[in-house]
Amino acid sequence: MKDFITEFSKKSITAIENLPHDEIAKALNILQGVYERDGRVYVFGNGGSWAIAGHWVTDFNKTVFSHHLAEHNKRFRVSRMPATAEELTAWANDVGYDMVFAGPLDNVLEDGDVVIAISSSGNSANIIKAVEVAKKHKVPVIGLSGFDGGKLNQLADIKILVATPKGEYEIVESTHDTVMHMMTKYFKNYFDHLVEAKK
Amino acid sequence: MIVVRAPLRISFVGGGTDIADFYRKHPGRVISTAIDKFVYVAINRTPLIPKISARYSISETVDRPDDLQHTRIKAALLDMGIGKGIEIGSFASLPAKTGLGSSSSFSVALIKGLNAFAGKKMDKKEVAEAASRLEIELLGEPIGKQDQYAAAMGGFNVIQFNPDESVDVEPVLLDYKKRLGLENNLLLFYTGLTRAASSVLTEQKANIGSKFETLKEMAGSVDEFRDRLLVGDFKRLGGMLHEGWLKKKSLASNVSNSTIDDLYNAGMDAGAWGGKVLGAGGGGCVMFIVADDKKPAVREAVKKVAKEKNLNEFQEIPVKFVQSSAEIVFNGDEFKNKISI
Repeated sequence: MKDFITEFSKKSITAIENLPHDEIAKALNILQGVYERDGRVYVFGNGGSWAIAGHWVTDFNKTVFSHHLAEHNKRFRVSRMPATAEELTAWANDVGYDMVFAGPLDNVLEDGDVVIAISSSGNSANIIKAVEVAKKHKVPVIGLSGFDGGKLNQLADIKILVATPKGEYEIVESTHDTVMHMMTKYFKNYFDHLVEAKK
Repeated sequence: MIVVRAPLRISFVGGGTDIADFYRKHPGRVISTAIDKFVYVAINRTPLIPKISARYSISETVDRPDDLQHTRIKAALLDMGIGKGIEIGSFASLPAKTGLGSSSSFSVALIKGLNAFAGKKMDKKEVAEAASRLEIELLGEPIGKQDQYAAAMGGFNVIQFNPDESVDVEPVLLDYKKRLGLENNLLLFYTGLTRAASSVLTEQKANIGSKFETLKEMAGSVDEFRDRLLVGDFKRLGGMLHEGWLKKKSLASNVSNSTIDDLYNAGMDAGAWGGKVLGAGGGGCVMFIVADDKKPAVREAVKKVAKEKNLNEFQEIPVKFVQSSAEIVFNGDEFKNKISI
């Protein structure tokens, strides 16, 4: 039992140590830009990645401003895509499961928006379709992938690859969560600083 | 109606190395940032009014693009084959000719807007390339490419101009503490003196051969500026600006004049770490990097000189650095395209 725990912990630590710092910094710059211009951020993924997308929405829309909610009347505008299970099943049932993100995304993307695509394999067909839609709209794509990165890491403008042996979903997903929390903390500190510097 | 905005920029070091006569022989390099001052271009489709209207400091309404006085709007419309049924207006947070790159910000916003009007989406580099082509190739202006890239890309960047005409944009990955730190140590003053960049650049361009080594040093100093910025060594950044400004002054006789020199020297004598004149020179803005506790003294000293010289339009311009690039802030055009998949 202890060996298993030690081994899993070591793999997680290695994944975090090997994070691409420059790419994460570039993503922070892009998110700073979308905040300045009041653009929208759309996040999506399948299964556990869908859960990370939901967590991203709450942390960016609320948690980063939490310490001074009243002072920040301008906030991030992040949505998980699609917004409802009804829309997801409609696209899946009527058009195809590969269109569950691409279809809804094509309805809403505007110049100045940003897309965050999350896929451990980097090869989920519905994620790649959605990334292609973002590319056609010339909207920047922040791609969080794992394993060898797959197609997502090739297509994304910002390549946040958690490189692991194939199939290490648990390590990849929890490291993606770390990246999301790292960005949350950065903006939380930044927005706190803006208010506290004025006092 | 389509509304596009593009930011102005502050260029720190390497200016002048973005001109083809230089970078075709040796890669040019600059470091600059977009700021929270913008040029806006509004484009309206008027199918029921088969004319072309351009509204800027004057208002023109003509039957054909050829009849327009505004050279950039005229060239862009002719190039894109837009013949009638369009109104174009421009708006800005600051006057023209401040040395903050506003004329290229206008071109960038115009190109992005006209392409949206034609149903075409563009990424940042495409916009920068198209705006450079408009100004340099189509209109033959004796200018470089740094301003088009600064406005189209947004953010804080090192921009390299390669001999094969390709351009590399490397974002400076500054955290908010360093970014706000530099903002806090920076003072920017609009002198009220205006100049068209082309008059200074024409002489500067003619001198490129004899000043080649100076320009090489200016391009070469960009990396140190970036590295010092990343560690927050603002004092050295000021020193580097000062050295760069002295080099820039040596490039052409009209880069500076006695009024500019007096304003600059007043700021330096009052304790600024360094500074420069923004833009091609001969007017525009004077910028200083200053320790926090010396800011009031520098401000007072520069204001005093401005008053003595009767610079009525002189004013301090508060700036913040932005990640914003050229962007469509509103698109209510009836033919706004949906991309089919």
